[in-house]
Amino acid sequence: MPEMVVKLRDVETTYEGEHLPAIKDINLQVDLSEFLVVVGPNGSGKTTLLETINGLLKVTHGEVIVFGHDMARNPSRVRKDIGYVPQDFLSEPSAPFIVRDVVLMGRYGKLGVLRRPERRDLKIAEEAMRLVGIDGFADRPIGKLSGGEQQKVMIARAIAQEPRLLLLDEPFSNLDIDSRRRMSDTLCKLHDERGLTTIMVTHDLLSIPERCDRIIVMDRGRIIVDGEPKYAMQKAEDLNILVRGLSL
Amino acid sequence: MIPLPIQIIITAITASILAGITCSLIGVFVVQMKLSSIGFCMSHAAFAGAALGLLLSTDPLITALAFATVIALILGPLSEKAKLSPEVIIGIMFSLTMGLGFIFLNFTPGLAATRQALGILWGSIFSVTIDDLILLGLLTFFIVLLLILFFKEFQALMFNRKLAEASGINTSLFYFLILFLIGVTVAFSLKLVGGLLVFALIVNPASSALQFIYDLKKVMVVSPLIGASTCLLGFFSSLLLNFPIGSSIIIVSSFTFCVSVILSPKRRRG
Repeated sequence: MPEMVVKLRDVETTYEGEHLPAIKDINLQVDLSEFLVVVGPNGSGKTTLLETINGLLKVTHGEVIVFGHDMARNPSRVRKDIGYVPQDFLSEPSAPFIVRDVVLMGRYGKLGVLRRPERRDLKIAEEAMRLVGIDGFADRPIGKLSGGEQQKVMIARAIAQEPRLLLLDEPFSNLDIDSRRRMSDTLCKLHDERGLTTIMVTHDLLSIPERCDRIIVMDRGRIIVDGEPKYAMQKAEDLNILVRGLSL
Repeated sequence: MIPLPIQIIITAITASILAGITCSLIGVFVVQMKLSSIGFCMSHAAFAGAALGLLLSTDPLITALAFATVIALILGPLSEKAKLSPEVIIGIMFSLTMGLGFIFLNFTPGLAATRQALGILWGSIFSVTIDDLILLGLLTFFIVLLLILFFKEFQALMFNRKLAEASGINTSLFYFLILFLIGVTVAFSLKLVGGLLVFALIVNPASSALQFIYDLKKVMVVSPLIGASTCLLGFFSSLLLNFPIGSSIIIVSSFTFCVSVILSPKRRRG
């Protein structure tokens, strides 16, 4: 039986001040080394699902288990093993942070309190920058980079964390087609080499890596299709979801 | 220039330097994490607390510390949970704490107390005692120590709280620690520049340093240098021109900030 990494049972998440849940009746299991892609139109609950998995959002019903731990209790310990690339991250142009430090920050949770980054951590950060092709920007202020370059910094930061579970929220949205392909290849290679479990959210069907094992389709906060890629896409097309909001 | 005993001058200069360093270090957090409204409220809470201390004939520093700490403990969770905009927080808390402060001062009897009350409002560096100096020194040491020990956590928090949390850092703990440090720093700096002006001493040096530097570690070194220099310059200007010391310090630090904005390479195009 495959080892379970993520399990969501009857999960519902409602934002503070809202009456309607952003996601509802979510039952999902993601196994070790699985590459799962979550697609759906804008506002279908994809980002909420990711942030519920890593505990940034608290569930209003149900439970989220990651690596055997309940994310409602002490999520900080589990998050050290979860790399997270947020959607559309943009730093202020004058922010006092250079790229190398931002990538190195990915190591901080793992290092724990009172421990400083050592030479090994710097090496890991530099390797992550090299992998995504931003090693030439290491000493530049992050706010001075373009949106696409900043997105690469975020991916490098998540890689530097050496996670066991990688959560990617529209990781290629600011990249050009060429960079998108290269980044997708890099992530798939990492996924296979390091035995990662990857959950990637996208509304862009062209961004779905061929390597993905399974696709779930979300609509109005619910998972409506869950299966191997060909089946899931066909089913979503039959349900007329793809033409409503997804971009090809 | 007014002739003053050398010991008073040395005490005042040391207090200026220490308050300049402490306020401007804390200022980096305030500016970078956009905590101005919360910090501003705490400076006025400390003022109200000090006024209460005068009314109760206790050490104003203790009540100022208590007020600032309580406000820090209330405001942090309140601003997070209630999702109030900074304008709402500042509007309500500023008027509430100032109102309380003036009510306490109004009921404070005696001429000496009135003078002390004015000292809280505008600052009175010459009333700084050796004991105050030791406390300020300890606070400076404590803040520098915390910065060295938890620099990476503070750095991650200042970059992006959500990302810091996502990478496994207990951000709430460090966020509340920062709020607490702002409160304590404000309370300890009241004697120097007063409750009405202390916040400028926190914001101006850090904002000036941030006009030139892209590396947080360097900002943490340059900001206290600017803070201490502007405090010293303000102190000597006040002696020369016979201005109130707190106001002189704030004018010098505000002027420094304006010059920094004009010269800032971050504002040049291209």
